[in-house]
Amino acid sequence: MALIDLIEESVVKVPLAASGKDAAIRELVDTLVSAGKILDAETAYRAVLDREAKGSTGLEEGIAVPHGKTLAARELTIAIGVSPAGVEFGSMDGKPTRLFFLLLAPPDQAGPHIEALAEIARMSRSKAFCSSLAACRTPAEVVRLFKDE
Amino acid sequence: MTRPIRKIMVYVDGSEQSITAAQYAIVLAKSLGADLYALYVVDTRALAELVKSRIFLESEQEEYRRDLDGDASRYLNHVRELARRKGVPVAAEKASGAVHVEIKAKVAALGIDLLVLGEISQIRSRRDELYNETERAMRTAQCPVLVAKGEDKIWDLYESLE
Repeated sequence: MALIDLIEESVVKVPLAASGKDAAIRELVDTLVSAGKILDAETAYRAVLDREAKGSTGLEEGIAVPHGKTLAARELTIAIGVSPAGVEFGSMDGKPTRLFFLLLAPPDQAGPHIEALAEIARMSRSKAFCSSLAACRTPAEVVRLFKDE
Repeated sequence: MTRPIRKIMVYVDGSEQSITAAQYAIVLAKSLGADLYALYVVDTRALAELVKSRIFLESEQEEYRRDLDGDASRYLNHVRELARRKGVPVAAEKASGAVHVEIKAKVAALGIDLLVLGEISQIRSRRDELYNETERAMRTAQCPVLVAKGEDKIWDLYESLE
């Protein structure tokens, strides 16, 4: 399954209101709950925090890819967040994180989970794409950017 | 004239599309009297890429590798069962590496006459053309390739197979 198949306006949060790491994760998880993608917010939130406790998924250039395996997700699902102000996420280069790709998958869907993460890893290497994404001000703009990309 | 299709291989990645492809491959194998192979590739290249990009920890790579091995067994067993119901023998093949590279290599090693792939996602970005493994396999395999489209029709064909 292509990443674009998972992206719809209801799973995009622009702008993220949170100013801290845990709050940003919680806001993205809640976005997925509102979109009807997951049922149990607390279990999903814990799964992501447990993973973050082993090492931050804050990469360079303002990108973070928090993820987790959890039965709270019935299928692979993604939430995208854009924080114009940036969030301190413990990233590798110490810069605030502005783009968030939160992925949740049930434990028996490792293949699609890895495929989607690899796709995000490739996209995150495109500075032009990341700049365009960070400049999006509405979920519709984000979805359009992915479809045109 | 020798039969043009004596060996059929279906690539299975666990997606619904690849399971539909497996059903169609079973129908073809039975109808043509061809040998059937089912291949699952553990995408270790993607795992390595995720470690390199620091999205995965080393320990996570191993954990997901085990998960993928489990997926491989589960999905290949599912195809075995689908084939068994229709009295079609299937040889399950598991490989690891870059998906399209392993498919191409297996096609060559087994002397496959027809590669059957699942339908490629219809909602697409241009980047998909470069990185979608099914599409890359379609472009790089050195044998005729069939993309199994039409889930309902294929299901009917499979179900009606004696």
